[in-house]
Amino acid sequence: MNEVRIIPQALRLARRELRGGLRGFGVFLTCLFLGVFSISAIGSFTESAKSGLLADASGLLGGDFEIRMAHRELPTAAASFLATRGSLSHVVTMRTMVANDDGNKRILAELKAVDHAYPLYGNVEIEPTQSIARALVDDGIYGALVERALLARLDIDVGDKVKVGDAEFLIRGVLTTEPDRTIRAFNLGPRFMTSLDGLAATGLMQPGSLIYHAYRLRLPDRETVDQFRDDLQERFPEAGWRLRTWREAAPRVRFFLDRMNQNLTLIGLCALLVGGLGVSGAVRSYLTGKITHIATMKCLGAPGHLIFVAYLLQVLALGALGAGAGVVCGAVLPFLIKQLLGSHLPVPLAPAIHWQALLTAAMFGLLIALVFSLKALGVARRVSPAILFRGYGENTDQNPGIAIRIMIAFAVICLAMLAVLTSTDHKMAVWFICGAATSFGIFRYAAAMVVKLTRHLPRPDNPSLRLGLANIHRRGSPAGNALFSLGLGLTALVVIMLVQTNLDDKVNETVPSEAPAFFFLDIQGSQAEAFEALAKSLPGIGKIERYPTLRGRITAIAGTPVSTAEIAQEVRWAVRGDRFLSYSAEMPPDTEIVAGEWWPPDYTGEPLVSLTDDLAKGFGVDIGDTLTVNVLGRDVTARISSRRQVDWSTLDLNFALIFSPGLLENAPQTNIASIHVLPEDEETTYDAITKQFPNVSAISTREVMQNVSRTLDRIGTAFRSMAAIALLTGFLVLAGAVSADQHRRIHDAVIFKVCGATRFDILGAFATEFVLLGLIAGCLSAIVGSLAAMGIIKGLMKMPFTLHLTTIITTILIGIALTLLLGLLGTWKALGQKPSTYLRGE
Amino acid sequence: MVEIRNLHLSLIGGAGAVNILRGVDLSVKSGETISIVGPSGAGKTTLLMALSGLERPSSGQVRIADTDLTAISEDDLARFRRRHVGIVFQSFHLVPTMTALENVSLPLEFAAAADPAGQAKAALEKTGLGDRLHHFPGELSGGEQQRVALARAFVANPSLLLADEPTGNLDRETGIMVMDLLFSLQKEHGTTLVLVTHDETLASRCNRSIQMIDGRVMEATGTPGE
Repeated sequence: MNEVRIIPQALRLARRELRGGLRGFGVFLTCLFLGVFSISAIGSFTESAKSGLLADASGLLGGDFEIRMAHRELPTAAASFLATRGSLSHVVTMRTMVANDDGNKRILAELKAVDHAYPLYGNVEIEPTQSIARALVDDGIYGALVERALLARLDIDVGDKVKVGDAEFLIRGVLTTEPDRTIRAFNLGPRFMTSLDGLAATGLMQPGSLIYHAYRLRLPDRETVDQFRDDLQERFPEAGWRLRTWREAAPRVRFFLDRMNQNLTLIGLCALLVGGLGVSGAVRSYLTGKITHIATMKCLGAPGHLIFVAYLLQVLALGALGAGAGVVCGAVLPFLIKQLLGSHLPVPLAPAIHWQALLTAAMFGLLIALVFSLKALGVARRVSPAILFRGYGENTDQNPGIAIRIMIAFAVICLAMLAVLTSTDHKMAVWFICGAATSFGIFRYAAAMVVKLTRHLPRPDNPSLRLGLANIHRRGSPAGNALFSLGLGLTALVVIMLVQTNLDDKVNETVPSEAPAFFFLDIQGSQAEAFEALAKSLPGIGKIERYPTLRGRITAIAGTPVSTAEIAQEVRWAVRGDRFLSYSAEMPPDTEIVAGEWWPPDYTGEPLVSLTDDLAKGFGVDIGDTLTVNVLGRDVTARISSRRQVDWSTLDLNFALIFSPGLLENAPQTNIASIHVLPEDEETTYDAITKQFPNVSAISTREVMQNVSRTLDRIGTAFRSMAAIALLTGFLVLAGAVSADQHRRIHDAVIFKVCGATRFDILGAFATEFVLLGLIAGCLSAIVGSLAAMGIIKGLMKMPFTLHLTTIITTILIGIALTLLLGLLGTWKALGQKPSTYLRGE
Repeated sequence: MVEIRNLHLSLIGGAGAVNILRGVDLSVKSGETISIVGPSGAGKTTLLMALSGLERPSSGQVRIADTDLTAISEDDLARFRRRHVGIVFQSFHLVPTMTALENVSLPLEFAAAADPAGQAKAALEKTGLGDRLHHFPGELSGGEQQRVALARAFVANPSLLLADEPTGNLDRETGIMVMDLLFSLQKEHGTTLVLVTHDETLASRCNRSIQMIDGRVMEATGTPGE
């Protein structure tokens, strides 16, 4: 038979074989479907969300172009220049306390004051329906719009009055849609929206108060925005403003989406890898059932490579079916989400068919199908026709041959390359591949060891226990596959559960016990002494810390502008916007200087700055280098005199940059304070201080932490869902392994009955086998999963790791319970099998 | 040893109930060897299954060693088999994933006997398979597999041995060798033997031979062989 005819011949054979239907391929198809679906769904959703963000970029930014600055307004000349180029809108944001009409309830809110031009893009939606101009109009009392949460927390309704600073406002409606408010992980309070005039009446716009001014511009053609930016920078070169174009809208959301996509895809890949074992089991089981058929074809003159190609084509066809179904469902998902959730989504979604994401998922599926079926195909290729002349149609030679081993290695390399090349963080993808390969190695070795160990264990007297143990190490036992698949699925679950519980610990337990109960912002200089006196007079007060503070933006590092300076990724946050700055003659208590020294208390020389050690390393600077900071539009340069080690996790008041005295005292500024209070006195402290100082914003650490915890929980849900898919795949593989083994179990059960075994003996034997498998898989997963979680928490997140025994024990119990359940469900038929029927059938 | 009274057994098939046994009466004395012959479909194997408790009769009584098999539960039947009955099949019915030694140990293990492996080894040595203890069924010839099955049937020293066409899958020479072994073990253990066969020569080696036709036992044919 020449090579040219192999393919048509193989196609003909494959078509004839597939006429028999998909029986026996349920696990194969479901495993591929689940893995490919999860990867394509995540990819499609992320791309749809990113398209939505880009399509709505001007709406999210609030204009085509934005100038944002802390503390101060735009100079008239600049405002006039902007007004000549398009429609201009001025928006002010700050945090403030909002009190009910009686003044007995006060909460922190995110205040936004807008002008008449707002919004330049999109629509503000209000309940009851009305225009924003009507809602905010001053008709003897300033109007305000709020989020529903504010009404609930102050126990008020639309039509009630509230107080902010010195002014009174009438709540005219509930804000349901705010076009320029993107998803934010941590909000300190609900939105309170009013007019610029309303804000002015509050008296909160004090020098140094933490106020942000944003000037948005709508250009006649938004594609000219880069040219406009260049013009503006040329005209006002020393302005020190933070500029953003619509192309840079919602950068954090896009960064977050990319990270989520990357991490969830890797967990999806983990599910697909576990599913690969199901693919392998299904193909092996299918080909085992075909051994005599293959041997017969060989007797009739079919060469091994024809057999190989014919069955490879069947695997690829089935792989395309499973992966295709996953891709279709993954592609449909964003459309479905948009349809079902619509405006409730935190990001705008523009569903579309994202071919690259879908193709990637399909490639993953097909490569997994190939990697995990090649060995069984290679073994089938080498089946000896002599098998027809022996009993029990068993092929003991499991060597696929060197050519197939090379093909498997090549497919594995392709799979790894695909994972790395399609990842946004190549380093992380490489770590994932190493971790997955190690886990595979560990579970493969462990499964072999367990089988070997049970063979050499002393034989128990109890026949059920003895048979159960023997079932694990006997030839053709599914124990190795079951340990492998279940173990990998459970490991993914352990890692995610342990990472989540450790993060929750950090947020819920460790921090509040050490952290201040409140932070107070915008304490005016004139109020500082009275504030401290009041705080000290209140019951249950512990440590009080207070520092003068103002906002500034780092503009140059060692003389190099930040736009061109080489800054490490992990500290780039420090140059993205304004930072809290402070100054002090005395070294703050608990300061740990790691290089250089603190200035003398009476220092009057050139401006110096003390920098945190992580920033110094990330900026690549050391003692003697300079740092330039723009404060209120003026660049100030100071020389670095010391590097400090700061443990931010204690939440004690501290600053990345502390300047020497004599530089910032005359700039407009406020004070920030932190107070430690006994938990039972927190409410009294909050009420007393916010009542006496209505302009001071109080931030409750407990509330912030609860907010963080809720956010982490929401993010955790996505990860847990993906881990659940990995675990579900693991169970499917186990179910497939048990199902493939059912014929043998029925045969064994009948022979056992013939030899005098009761149903209880047989049940006991099967239960022993599955409990042992579940227990071993659970224990191995607990160890491997804990090590991986520790690597992530300690290695990547640089946080202390706590081993949660409850999580681990729960995992082991889940492993045992589900293995036992699936195992017994799969063998129930064997228990109930009537021996005579079976023996006749034979 | 064996008392069968008016035994009826019907099986439900696709075309409705089929009466396989139609009032079988039979007595077998302890230590006696009896062959059952007859055309295919006469009910020979079904009678053997009813004797082993693997098939429940529709009516009538089966008493073996003073136990009424029709009156006890499925699990009690299993316990009864482990003490009193050994079975040899035409197609051997060994567990393919267990070695010869493990296959022979099975009845002893279920009976919680002392040193099952030691007893199984002795039984296999007696059948001439002392050098094949750790071979799997797939690695043994048909004759060797049936010798393992014989060792398994005799290892717990049952009082009744049921053999269903034990040479049906073997060539003539191997068949004769296996049957020589079977009768030798039967004599050594004093086991009562009920043998289903198509082979007249084989049937003639038993003390008594009965013929079954259409679910009924006809009168004894031939003469006691030994």
